[in-house]
Amino acid sequence: MTTHTQRASLAGPVKEVVDEFLILFANIGFAVSLFAVWAVLTLIGVIVDQNKGDAFYWQNYTPDLARIVLRLHLDNIYHSPAYISIIGLILISMTVATFRRVIPARLPALRAVKIDKIPLHAEFTVRGDETTVRARLERFFAERGWQIRKREFGGDEWSFIDKHNWARRGVLVAHVGFVIIAAGTTVYWATGYSGQFTVLSGNTATIPQTGATVALEQFGYRIDPVMTKSGVVYQPIDYVSHAIVTGKNGVPHDAIIRVNQPYDVDGVKIYQATYGFGMTFRLTENGAPVAGIPATPIKEGEGFAIPGTSRSIEYRSFVGTINRQTGQPGADPRPNDPGVTIQAFDGDKPLGQALIPLGTSLDLGSGYALTPLRYTLYSGFQYRYDPGIPLVLVGALVLLAGLCISFYFLPARLYVVVSGEGRTWNVGIAATTVKGFEIFEDRFRDIVAALRRVEDEPGSSAAPVPVPATS
Amino acid sequence: MLDPLKVAIDHDMVVLTLAVYVVGTLVLMGFFLMRSMILKRIGIGLAVAACALQIIELGTRWNMTGVWPLTNLYGSLSLFSGLGVLVFIIFAARYDLWLVGFGVLGISAIAFGYATTWNEGYMPAVPALQSYWIKVHVPLVIASYASFMVAFVVSSIYLLKLYAERRFGSAPTLRASAAGAGGNFSVAIERSAMRSMEATVAKTETPNIATAAANGDAFAIWLAGLPSLARLDMLTYRIVAVGLPLLTVGIITGAMWANEAWGAYWQWDPKETAALVSWIVYAAFMHLHTRNKWRGERTAWVSLVGFATIVFCYLGVNIWISGLHSYKM
Repeated sequence: MTTHTQRASLAGPVKEVVDEFLILFANIGFAVSLFAVWAVLTLIGVIVDQNKGDAFYWQNYTPDLARIVLRLHLDNIYHSPAYISIIGLILISMTVATFRRVIPARLPALRAVKIDKIPLHAEFTVRGDETTVRARLERFFAERGWQIRKREFGGDEWSFIDKHNWARRGVLVAHVGFVIIAAGTTVYWATGYSGQFTVLSGNTATIPQTGATVALEQFGYRIDPVMTKSGVVYQPIDYVSHAIVTGKNGVPHDAIIRVNQPYDVDGVKIYQATYGFGMTFRLTENGAPVAGIPATPIKEGEGFAIPGTSRSIEYRSFVGTINRQTGQPGADPRPNDPGVTIQAFDGDKPLGQALIPLGTSLDLGSGYALTPLRYTLYSGFQYRYDPGIPLVLVGALVLLAGLCISFYFLPARLYVVVSGEGRTWNVGIAATTVKGFEIFEDRFRDIVAALRRVEDEPGSSAAPVPVPATS
Repeated sequence: MLDPLKVAIDHDMVVLTLAVYVVGTLVLMGFFLMRSMILKRIGIGLAVAACALQIIELGTRWNMTGVWPLTNLYGSLSLFSGLGVLVFIIFAARYDLWLVGFGVLGISAIAFGYATTWNEGYMPAVPALQSYWIKVHVPLVIASYASFMVAFVVSSIYLLKLYAERRFGSAPTLRASAAGAGGNFSVAIERSAMRSMEATVAKTETPNIATAAANGDAFAIWLAGLPSLARLDMLTYRIVAVGLPLLTVGIITGAMWANEAWGAYWQWDPKETAALVSWIVYAAFMHLHTRNKWRGERTAWVSLVGFATIVFCYLGVNIWISGLHSYKM
């Protein structure tokens, strides 16, 4: 007995908290507030560069702004706890609102109402025996595709006449769509993976998660000069990698991988992402080759140390065409008269940049000379295994279906009660919809007018008796 | 080599289309101010002509170059202008909304005028845009932008009328009437109705404008000729109800395309996220519109904010922010 009382005394506060939680999370205003916060956080991610590394922000933003961005983790906002929490709260709010608000409000119980308290209502009197009056009403709505259900309350028979009753579930469907999308995203987080790799022509790369190999036979590109109003621009037309891909079964397959045309191996899709010019350098000291620098081509952004010194060289970028007149990089990115830009360092200290035509030596001082010998095209690929995609797609389509149901169908309910006696019957009719009253005002007027016309028809067993307006 | 004659025709069509937009805007502005039926008829004709010319001009480009014309800002803004007018024509024809046409044609004229500054000629598509998805994704998204533009204009007119109503009288009164369809019954909105409904009635009626109009106030008479607040609010809802599913499908098809081109259906690219922001704002609009307390003035403001996010998403992101959709050189 004591235990029961204690439980009861505990249950009270717990129930209060739970009730308050449910009320808050079912509140549309709260949901919209969450939407607003979500929108603001998302907007921050649009404006603030994402995932650039600390140095980028210190270089490109004012010190105060960079500090704010880095301290508040705005540099990776979409994966921040705040952002994920907001999405979590929205999902909870959506779930609670669906069960506490959407379902009860959208699927109202069949019960008697005060007709004249509903803004859209009308009353009129008809003559005839009760059975005939009711039958005519029923036929009127049935002929127009309304679903009729009858219940008796307090001795009065009520007709509940619905249109598009099924569409009351539209919001529910949309919310379910969201949940499915979230589930699909979670599947990727739990089991999917992605990555990037580059392969020099003639070389092979391996996807670590599956062991599949991609041997790049050749990378090709097409860039055309196009005359525009502003002058000649060099427009990329095609990037294509010719590769041999070997999956888990060990069988090599010829693969042509283009932008918009990924290649599927063991469920992992390989995408054409980037390309570049690998560069082979020769370093000499007093004319003799220096050992210890990479013998294979290095890519843009990579470098090497000059053996026996504190200096290093970084290969910055490939220049397709050097303007012979100015000695500066030309507009044409195609390798007509190619060169490279390099950056020299002494320790961390930059010493300077230089543009070197291919095959030409640059005197680095102290007897050292650097020569870019030849370029080798490489292809950059992205790969991704995402088993959640079908679920996300299904969720998106369910969401869309829910939106269309909610927006394009107007579930309306008419409450009709016939009261009176003898051959004079008063018909009370009121309408509610899930989208307020104004949206149905014209339609309701039309329905009542049509109903009146039917009752007015010659030959009808009853003629309507005018009733003054109720207000 | 392009046929010089076709190039000349295309150039002339661009000029003609812009001219029709501008003249149409002025004529429909005249109709808005003077309610002249002749101006209305001419304005309708010009709106239809502008829309047709715009679509034909894009079609001509496609035919001339063999390149889908929506691969640059010129093409997409051209389609935005044309579809904006098309969405407007459909709603105006259905709901007699021609009064707001000057706003739609005006924005379309500005958009197309701006588009011509991005007209660099006839360029082939870059590899990322060489996909059938461009024929699905871009028109859908642009159609949604166009719908939201029309909703923006209608909401603006709503707010104009609402604030004028407030200016004409300090204390709004509730008037209980919705027109009856016949003499022997009435559809009544009653004073005794629920409190939440009173708020709705107060927002959907303009008794102060009616009173001032009855007293001969010219501005009030002019305002009284505008569609009712309830109708404008409803139209905004209906137009957003077209735009939001289009934006949803646009985002979905964009994600499918991104999955094919970039290896992920969602990369938090500025354009994607800005579109998500717009989607969130309009989803909030739809949620708020279910609440009597919010329907009307507040949702009209949300519609305005929504269109601001669309402009940011469409132009701000493409022009000012680097990303996969950037037009920055």
